[in-house]
Amino acid sequence: MDLTYSDADRAFREKARGWLSTNVPTTPRPAHGAAAAQFDRDWQRKQYEHGWAGVAWPKDFGGLGLSGLQQVIWYEELARARAPHYINTTYIALMHAGPTLIARGTDEQKAFHLPKILSGEALWCQGFSEPNAGSDLASLKTRGVVDGDAIAVTGSKMWTTDAVYADYQELLIRTDPGSERHKGLTWLIADMKTPGIEVKPIRTMLMDEHVNLVFYDEARFPVSNVVGQINKGWSTALSTLSFERGLGFIGDQLDLYERVCRAIDLAGKVRLENGQRAIEDAGIAQKLAGLKADALAIRAMTLAHITESDRTGEPGPKGSLMKLTVTATHKALSETVGDMLGWDFLEFDGDRASHPWTYDYLWSWVFSISGGTSEIQREITADRLLDLPRAR
Amino acid sequence: MFLAPDGDEIEIIDAAAGFLADVMPISRLHESGSADMNGTLRRQMGEMGWFALALEENKGGSGLTAVEHALFFREIGRLCGSLDVLSQALAVHVADGDLRARLISGDVGVALAVRDGGEFRLLGAPGAALALEVNETGAWLRDVSALAAETRSSLDPATSMRVSTAMPDAVLGQVDGPEVMQLARLGSAAMLIGLAEAALDLIVDYAKVRETFGRKIGAYQAVRHACADMALRAEAARCQLWFSAAAIKEGRGDAAIHLDAAKHLANQAAIANADANIQLHGGIGVTDEHDAHLLLKHAWFLAKVFGTKRALLGRLLDARVED
Ligand SMILES: Cc1cc2nc3c(=O)[nH]c(=O)nc-3n(C[C@H](O)[C@H](O)[C@H](O)COP(=O)(O)OP(=O)(O)OC[C@H]3O[C@@H](n4cnc5c(N)ncnc54)[C@H](O)[C@@H]3O)c2cc1C
Repeated sequence: MDLTYSDADRAFREKARGWLSTNVPTTPRPAHGAAAAQFDRDWQRKQYEHGWAGVAWPKDFGGLGLSGLQQVIWYEELARARAPHYINTTYIALMHAGPTLIARGTDEQKAFHLPKILSGEALWCQGFSEPNAGSDLASLKTRGVVDGDAIAVTGSKMWTTDAVYADYQELLIRTDPGSERHKGLTWLIADMKTPGIEVKPIRTMLMDEHVNLVFYDEARFPVSNVVGQINKGWSTALSTLSFERGLGFIGDQLDLYERVCRAIDLAGKVRLENGQRAIEDAGIAQKLAGLKADALAIRAMTLAHITESDRTGEPGPKGSLMKLTVTATHKALSETVGDMLGWDFLEFDGDRASHPWTYDYLWSWVFSISGGTSEIQREITADRLLDLPRAR
Repeated sequence: MFLAPDGDEIEIIDAAAGFLADVMPISRLHESGSADMNGTLRRQMGEMGWFALALEENKGGSGLTAVEHALFFREIGRLCGSLDVLSQALAVHVADGDLRARLISGDVGVALAVRDGGEFRLLGAPGAALALEVNETGAWLRDVSALAAETRSSLDPATSMRVSTAMPDAVLGQVDGPEVMQLARLGSAAMLIGLAEAALDLIVDYAKVRETFGRKIGAYQAVRHACADMALRAEAARCQLWFSAAAIKEGRGDAAIHLDAAKHLANQAAIANADANIQLHGGIGVTDEHDAHLLLKHAWFLAKVFGTKRALLGRLLDARVED
């Protein structure tokens, strides 16, 4: 058991901190829409041009080949530099589409797509969930008919984040007509400009339209876009989900401590309705200090899990515990700040830059529902970590 | 950087677990009479060197670190081990010469003295002539054999309790500074985490065998999800414990802050897990014959010593940690 960083780790931190201190965008990220997507592409391009793209990717595929621990350092430095919130329109491409292609794609797929992802040229979205297949993903129905060297897709996907701006999609469909559940599925790279695709934004409680319905009407994709094998797509999808559940939330994990500290600073300034400063209120002070303990534990868990998987080469079974605690702590922090901000908390125009705490509060449900709900994370924990009898 | 027991550390855990399962099984708490360490057990533990793990070799200890100290007391906690094991292991850092040797060997026992308003609560080691008081500024070992201490009935079968209105002025040993408190807080946090883990293990085992309505209760989500929450509380507190133990070992400037967080999370995890364990056992969980209530009662005692919620959170509010 030890907490020492190697010389290489320390040097990496210095280098990252130095670069970020002068290169983090100084203008706030636009709240929505094409401007936000363009901002994300530009920031990604800048990281790429300066050799900082693909922290989690192996060197052979243009990434930095960092250890898990160095990725932690990178995200800590991003949080310290207050770099643009990392869950942005490049997230799917960098955090799971790219890694899925690296693990399961053909040489041609890798050569074509990976550089575009790293440079910010290509944005991706994830077309897994459907109106009637979310937690129970294996019940999905969107069908693909193999027709010569093309697959014709008909059906609909729902909740597809940033589908409007995405160039490509991770599309999971049923290609074996008689099949059920996990069998007969195929994981396909879908070019979003393909005729027959229609994207319809869904307005959310955050006053934005970042999620979408995507309709497919005999949209034809080349068979060469299949990742893994036809009818064996569940196995490829599990790779994708393992990347999402492994380090998918690392940025939020490590950002929490800084955000708790900012909330405590804020509590020293704002006044409650009784004229007291928020920090002088014992209830608020105790809540905030407890959240700091939670944030420290989240960081300790992150380091424990990552250094373990750096050794074994595999993500452990504890990613679900991680997501549970990060989302719960995020919500509790937002509620506590909401309590002390009074009426100001109840002003909201949909912009994260002007109303960060209210935005983050509303985001807490996105967080605890997308990527597998908290209930499903508890199910996974009960099955895989505790080996309890199955509920399903 | 590695934040889990490793190499020799695993050997310490195995050795402690094997030894304690024989001499300090939780079943001892179902027998009548005091369940603190008796003289025989104390000498057995002393012979194995368990009280002096983190004491320097030139003082008769094993010369190990805060990490091994934490690993050992987590095993103690898993068995609802008595609090006087900890006061003994702290006292060896406070005494000198012959007295230190007798404490290391388990020849003499030591109670924990805790200030309670104008009174003192003496916890554990009911017949002991010695009492140890520890706070943030230092630690004091005193001869309490002449003290008129009144025995009180204790909620916790694992910890006897006496009350005294005075404390002798004379000290047999004294250490200035926060070091003893650091080992005390770390040891008690480790015990609480072991206890939180034991509660989780008990209910997970039971949920795999107990059936209602034709199904194992572990297949009901109300049970499964509560177990997942227990696992999370134990995991979070345990990772923070490892972080703080390693931080102390390596002399990090922010070790005390990490330790405060660890004790706070351990207090919470132990009481919440012990609570859920009783509830999820149903009726059998409230019987005296079951272990479930023992964990809950002991958790309250451990949460009361060496760092309570208000003090810990008060310090954490303004504290900042290093990278
Ligand atoms: C903002 C947002 C963005 C998203 N982005 C994407 C995306 O980009 N791509 C994509 O493919 N998907 C995306 N999703 C979809 C997301 O993965 C699903 O919403 C999620 O998995 C839940 O599925 P559902 O909405 O169908 O709810 P349901 O599965 O219908 O669940 C309803 C409720 O029942 C509970 N529940 C369901 N099954 C169980 C069970 N077995 N045990 C206990 N409780 C259960 C759930 O926890 C939930 O509370 C996004 C969702 C949101 C909200």
